[in-house]
Amino acid sequence: MRKYAEIAKAYLKTQLVWRADIIFNMIFTVGRILFAYLLWGTIFEGREQVAGFTFHGMLSYYIINSFLTQLEMSSGISGELSARIRNGTFSKYLVIPVNVEGYFTAMEVGTVVFYLFFDFLAAVVWIFLFGIEFVFVKTFSIILCAGIMILLGLFFMVQLNFFLGILTFQYEEISTFLMIKDNLLALVTGSIIPLTLLPERVVELMRLLPFYYVTYLPSMLLTGNNRQEAVPGIVIMAVWCIVMQLVIHFYWNKYIRKYDGVGI
Amino acid sequence: MNNQIMNEMIIETKNLTKVYRRFVKKEGLRGSIEGLFKREYEQKEAVSGIDFNVREGEFIGLIGPNGAGKTTLIKMLTGIIAPTSGEISVMGYYPNNMKRGFKMQYAVVMGQKSQLFMELTVNDTLRLFKEIYEIPQEEYIRTRAFFTELFDVKELMEVQVRTLSLGERMKMEIIVALLHNPRVLFLDEPTIGLDAIAANQIRRFLKEVNQKKKTTIVLTSHYMEDIRTLCGRTVVINHGKKIYDGGTEEMFARYHDVERIYKEAEQDA
Repeated sequence: MRKYAEIAKAYLKTQLVWRADIIFNMIFTVGRILFAYLLWGTIFEGREQVAGFTFHGMLSYYIINSFLTQLEMSSGISGELSARIRNGTFSKYLVIPVNVEGYFTAMEVGTVVFYLFFDFLAAVVWIFLFGIEFVFVKTFSIILCAGIMILLGLFFMVQLNFFLGILTFQYEEISTFLMIKDNLLALVTGSIIPLTLLPERVVELMRLLPFYYVTYLPSMLLTGNNRQEAVPGIVIMAVWCIVMQLVIHFYWNKYIRKYDGVGI
Repeated sequence: MNNQIMNEMIIETKNLTKVYRRFVKKEGLRGSIEGLFKREYEQKEAVSGIDFNVREGEFIGLIGPNGAGKTTLIKMLTGIIAPTSGEISVMGYYPNNMKRGFKMQYAVVMGQKSQLFMELTVNDTLRLFKEIYEIPQEEYIRTRAFFTELFDVKELMEVQVRTLSLGERMKMEIIVALLHNPRVLFLDEPTIGLDAIAANQIRRFLKEVNQKKKTTIVLTSHYMEDIRTLCGRTVVINHGKKIYDGGTEEMFARYHDVERIYKEAEQDA
């Protein structure tokens, strides 16, 4: 376990080297909050509630959701894996005594910890600056459930991107897969609009998919909504993680034999 | 009896073959469109029926022109790729099973595949490799001190890797690779692109590592100076086949220069 902690630490240190990156990321977080403030301000003009949300409730949802969306940075994994498999430098992970998926998970942890701190800081500053009456659940068990769901959701996304990355062994070019995933995610994670605004049948379908539990449900739980879905949500997400792990195990063993290490 | 003959066999391959399958793309737009509907593949035999043995503690050179199959052989010996056919055993393991016990006992330095973190210092990477190879703290400090002194790089350990010169970076790659005292070290073109002074330094260090630590070293290089200075035995590969396996001095005495080695050794084989 210590080796993976050290890998995470190495990637955290790598992030800390770039000062401009930190500043621009914080500005980006601020930009998203500003955009949400203006957009929802217009929508709520003359109305008390939209889809069960008050103006401040909606902004709180948006801040939490965009904070979680920014923490979810695992798309770098599929990109890195794909590029390294294609150019032959993937070998560097195969020759050291680590589990490659574990290495990439630790890499993600190191990156997330970095953004966790700075994005949280930016969000807090702007909540005060805009005078947002931040809506946040006070029940400990719900906060705990949301926390577990966030961890499972982030882990699932690492698994998904790892799986998409190793498809390069078979298909060599995976940019179409990644494009489909990104477009699908933008809609089904509720990062554009809360899913409650969609028809109930669509939401029912999404409840069966893992993406519903990555950022959307945790955001809803933390803003005091959908409490009855907390425990079933954890179970569904855990099942998805197990299924995904089995899929990775099967395809890794199948595809790794195909790797020819050709490249630079 | 010679010490090397008494040592146990650490690498053994028998009739080792690797065939790559590659897509043949016709030129032009028409060829590209045709390729969408009908794919043609060709088989390329990169390594063909090679028998190759190395004893523990040996320093062996692997030479051959570009595309001869040297790197493919190294990739099979390190488990990166699976052979198409034949037998292979490295320290008693089948490399492509990629067992942890196997990976703990070897290291590989390949020119373009850096293990260093470019944004961090060498000490940061070493600390990571200490954990990856589960090296006890005392041993880590002792080994690090040994290599930083041997390579004379003490003042570079706290410098961001991306600011190092090519020669300095290669020294660091070798230190990272040797940190866990591997039984076998595979080096693929370690002196490529280095100036004469840096290349000489690397050779001197490798010789010392082989002698002091008794590390078995398999070296591929295009530079005959590397082979002549370091390797007691040389294996020449051309077109995927072994065309010479014997003493390095004997090889140079017989064929004189690299061109003749590749041409005449193939005729002799």
